[in-house]
Amino acid sequence: MFGSLDISTSGMIAQRVRLTAASANIAGANVVEDQWGNYAPYLRREVVLAAGDPSASSGDGRGLGVHVREVYKNENALRERYDPSSKHADANGYVVGPDISTFAEQVDAMEASRAYEANVAAAEVTKAMLAQALRMIA
Amino acid sequence: MLEKTLQAGSIPTLEAMMRFTGQRQRLLAHNVANLTTPSFQAVDVSPRAFQKVLGEAVAERRGRNGGVNGPLRMESTREVRVGRDGALALEPLRGTRGVGGVLLHDRNDRDVERLMQSMTENYGVYRVASDLMRSRVGVLRTAISQRVA
Repeated sequence: MFGSLDISTSGMIAQRVRLTAASANIAGANVVEDQWGNYAPYLRREVVLAAGDPSASSGDGRGLGVHVREVYKNENALRERYDPSSKHADANGYVVGPDISTFAEQVDAMEASRAYEANVAAAEVTKAMLAQALRMIA
Repeated sequence: MLEKTLQAGSIPTLEAMMRFTGQRQRLLAHNVANLTTPSFQAVDVSPRAFQKVLGEAVAERRGRNGGVNGPLRMESTREVRVGRDGALALEPLRGTRGVGGVLLHDRNDRDVERLMQSMTENYGVYRVASDLMRSRVGVLRTAISQRVA
């Protein structure tokens, strides 16, 4: 049954990564420079989940569960904004910056946090079962 | 002698129930972990089919010696494989759900309410089995303490 805990933990980790990505995306929604002041618009981070958890501590948990297959920077998530006062503006006054909808990111964050809670609930059930098994001989 | 004691009365049946619900919990936790995985299809085994096999094994054991003691001989099914030591391995059939994946944009067929219901029921069965098992263990302990004293 420790395998069940592994599985729920893998779900919590995956959702936490999604939540982190959503926070990073909201924070970077208007960023057009890197830390050295060079022009480098922030690219939206996207998390790809896949079934199975290769990092599980038990063989039981490895076949089941979920893992983050990759977090990639979406090179196409860029859009033009009219801002002639910016030093990065082109001849027509447009700056190419991140294409991030903070609303969509918030919805994503909400979904991730609810899914996280569902995993916590599943882990609680597993814990209750383990406690029950221990009580049997105590 | 110990084997006979541990296979007395309802103990083997309770053990099988605890093994099954313990293993099924893994599948349910797997489904919860993959609530937001694209294209994921939930997996599960049928508790009813397991209960049927368990019921047949109990009837067979009763036929042997009235069910007083002895091992439970359960048949493997397509979903539940019975190991030599009584361990159960669950192999859920995949892709049996009809409309899965067409409703949601990520083609996942999540159904949180049904999943949580299954988990609660599964825990309930585990709890009943382990409580009954506890009383059996209590009986054994009383018998042992009587003998030692």
